[in-house]
Amino acid sequence: MKLKPAASTRAIGALFLGAIVALALWGTTLAQETIVIGHAEITEAYDPAHAFNPTSGMVNRIAYDTLVTFPDADASAIEPLLATSWTISDDGLTYTFTLRDDVTFVDGSPLTAEDVVFSFDRLKNVKAQPSFLADPIASLAAIGERTVAITLTAVRPSFLAELANTAFSVTHAATVRANGGTDAADAAETDTAQAYLNQTSAGTGPYILESWSPQDRTVLVRNPDYWGEAPFFDRVIIVNIPEAATQRVALVAGNVDLATDLTPDQVVALEGNDDIGIYLGPGRWTHFLLMNRDPEVGGPMANPLVAQAVRHALDYQGYRDLWAGSVTPGSNMWVGLAGAFGQDQAMERDLERARALMAEAGYADGFEVTMHYADLTWAGVSLSTNAQKIQSDLAEIGIAVRLLPGEVQVALEGYRNGTQGLGYWFWGPDKLDPVDFLEFLPGGKVSGERARWTPEMIDEATRALIARAGVETDADERMAIFAQLQDYAQQDSAFAPFSVPAVQTAFRADIEGYVWHPQWGLDIALLSRK
Amino acid sequence: MPLYQYIVRRVLFAIPLVLGITVVAFLIANAIPADPINANLPQSALNNERLVQAFREKWGLDQPLHVQYLTYLGNLLRGDMGVSIRTNQPVLDDIRQFLPATVELATTSILVGLLLGVSFGIVSAVWRNSPVDYLVRVVALIGVSFPVFLLALIGLSVLHAQLGWTAGPGRLGFLVSRPPHVTGLYTVDALLAGQWATLRDALWHLVLPSLVLGMYVSGIIARITRSSLLEVLSSDYIRTARAKGQREAFVILRHGLSNALIPVVTLLGVLYGNLLAGAVLTEAIFAWPGIGRYAYRASTSQDFPAIMGVSMLIAFIYVVANFIVDFLYFFIDPRIRYA
Repeated sequence: MKLKPAASTRAIGALFLGAIVALALWGTTLAQETIVIGHAEITEAYDPAHAFNPTSGMVNRIAYDTLVTFPDADASAIEPLLATSWTISDDGLTYTFTLRDDVTFVDGSPLTAEDVVFSFDRLKNVKAQPSFLADPIASLAAIGERTVAITLTAVRPSFLAELANTAFSVTHAATVRANGGTDAADAAETDTAQAYLNQTSAGTGPYILESWSPQDRTVLVRNPDYWGEAPFFDRVIIVNIPEAATQRVALVAGNVDLATDLTPDQVVALEGNDDIGIYLGPGRWTHFLLMNRDPEVGGPMANPLVAQAVRHALDYQGYRDLWAGSVTPGSNMWVGLAGAFGQDQAMERDLERARALMAEAGYADGFEVTMHYADLTWAGVSLSTNAQKIQSDLAEIGIAVRLLPGEVQVALEGYRNGTQGLGYWFWGPDKLDPVDFLEFLPGGKVSGERARWTPEMIDEATRALIARAGVETDADERMAIFAQLQDYAQQDSAFAPFSVPAVQTAFRADIEGYVWHPQWGLDIALLSRK
Repeated sequence: MPLYQYIVRRVLFAIPLVLGITVVAFLIANAIPADPINANLPQSALNNERLVQAFREKWGLDQPLHVQYLTYLGNLLRGDMGVSIRTNQPVLDDIRQFLPATVELATTSILVGLLLGVSFGIVSAVWRNSPVDYLVRVVALIGVSFPVFLLALIGLSVLHAQLGWTAGPGRLGFLVSRPPHVTGLYTVDALLAGQWATLRDALWHLVLPSLVLGMYVSGIIARITRSSLLEVLSSDYIRTARAKGQREAFVILRHGLSNALIPVVTLLGVLYGNLLAGAVLTEAIFAWPGIGRYAYRASTSQDFPAIMGVSMLIAFIYVVANFIVDFLYFFIDPRIRYA
């Protein structure tokens, strides 16, 4: 059939249109989803055995896997990752892990127990920044293909939480060896794999490190053979923007999708901007009052009844209103830790009870006291603002507080030497495990040296409970012990925790899934675009 | 004295200078009452005597100071600048990595500053005490006295984020891939690789930071050019040139400016050195991964090999810059002879 000119033109037109539509569709399916993250880079390495900082934590979180890990947003439990299960020997010294059987490294080799042994031995022997984490390990043994036994030098209930650190990333032994790596005792002198592992990753994570130009940018690409759920973005570009002010400009201008280092006042200023989303969640700092138990130092504050009155006098709701996104802790155990009392189990203000306790202590008419604190703003929270609120809270039960702000180093000196009768301080957990709380109980450093609250001041049963908390490794048993200890601290303690302020992050409004984590900060594999 | 002898002598003089710098840098870095252990090991590792000891031994910090220095010097004479404590890479590699970014920015900035500064200076000298002169002098004063980092921030948030007239922070767009490494200067590398889009992007990203740094440079140059040109324009040979009936523009540019530029050229060496060594804040704000940030991080972490390396580099840059300046005199002012 011969087409008329008009019809043939139309046919060609339709053909073109079809081709364009097809191309467009093909384009969308092939379009690379890239996320650009503005970040103040502070790392000098990505080699998991050498790197120990927030930047490497964020990158190695997605380039590697650890044996065990935490939930997405806190450290409330130990969860399996490369290990499916584990047992702890009765003496608490040997941990035996069973590995997943479906995991491959980026080069396609299967994960074996040998790789775990190599990675941890290497971490220990390179004697670099994170090596102290592996120091409690006495020996490692691969039992067959998929079982690893780790024996410790001493009982260490926090070991599982420490294993979740990206320093314990499992690397492919053969690849690392082929590039100069070794796990031998003299690895500190002979291992030369750092240069290789700074540029690419030999792990099992959802992404592969593609390149790193120090102080400039880090590029990761999706691992096509990742054993777990595939992440949303094909490509991750982390650009180094050292100045918070520049990060803000880059975020507003749309040059970056997410900025990791904005200051709280910058984040607040971005509220109401429809292009920007904001995350608010509990941060890692617990703000608390310290009441010295040495009568020479603390005066009336050394009286346990007064301390209890103070815990009932604080206006917890008031601090929540003061700092957006903050929560009230149930104890000095950071709210994100396993078994920690949260806001629902926290103390509540009860002025009548507080006044009754003051009368019982013999201070019905109140007294005057000086409160020491550092004159600074920490993670966006002004200590002076809180100090004034504490002053007005305690005035309600007759305690007249004189505020004595000091230069940080000067105030810290008094705090560390235990010469402050009443002090206002904050604390972030050194390790993300309940044992961190033992610092605030008799026998702990903070309690003993800073508040002069020592083991002989408490009853035998509580002393025994504290001792058990330091060595018990059974997860359920531990939770029970720490619950009892937190109950105890609500009745008798030299401390009054009152606020856990929020962390804040800003990102482009189309970014979803942002969660802040106390260990790795940001898990990029959880992010997606609307 | 023949020229080559002069060059040899200058180079020989530079050696003790650079070595002297290493002594001073070493003493100052060690005089700071802080322990590099604290800056380079995490808090929890500090309690571990074995790890602390291993760290001290690895970096030679367990040796007496003079032994540390002599070891360093011995290695240096063999061409080894040592390994950075912080990055665990040879210091020379680190410098190679971070210097090109700074050289690229400092070079464009000095060109922008020279062009603007000399033009402002001429205008203001020729139309002396006119409103134009006052305007130029005020602008020059602002250029010199306005904090560069503030100018940089205002430039970014207004010219880039609000108006979209200039590129954002960084040496290239965040999504643009880097040109293959040859010199480390993105403009040159892009040119060599024939990547025109990358070249355009690199130049585009140079505009705002060069303008900001160039503003500062131009302020100084404008003031010097003005006063120098005014002095020259009142001299006898200018009157002679005018008396010969030469065009005013020719008199000012050919006879006046070429003589008035001598103090400007002197200044250029120092200004270029300043731009290379002192752009820490500007580099931070423009997210420019240069040597200034590297030096800053080296000093805050008590990274001795890196501190020494950067100090020598900066001393070397000043020596070379002044060397070039002396050479330029030779061409600008025929009266100058080297002896």
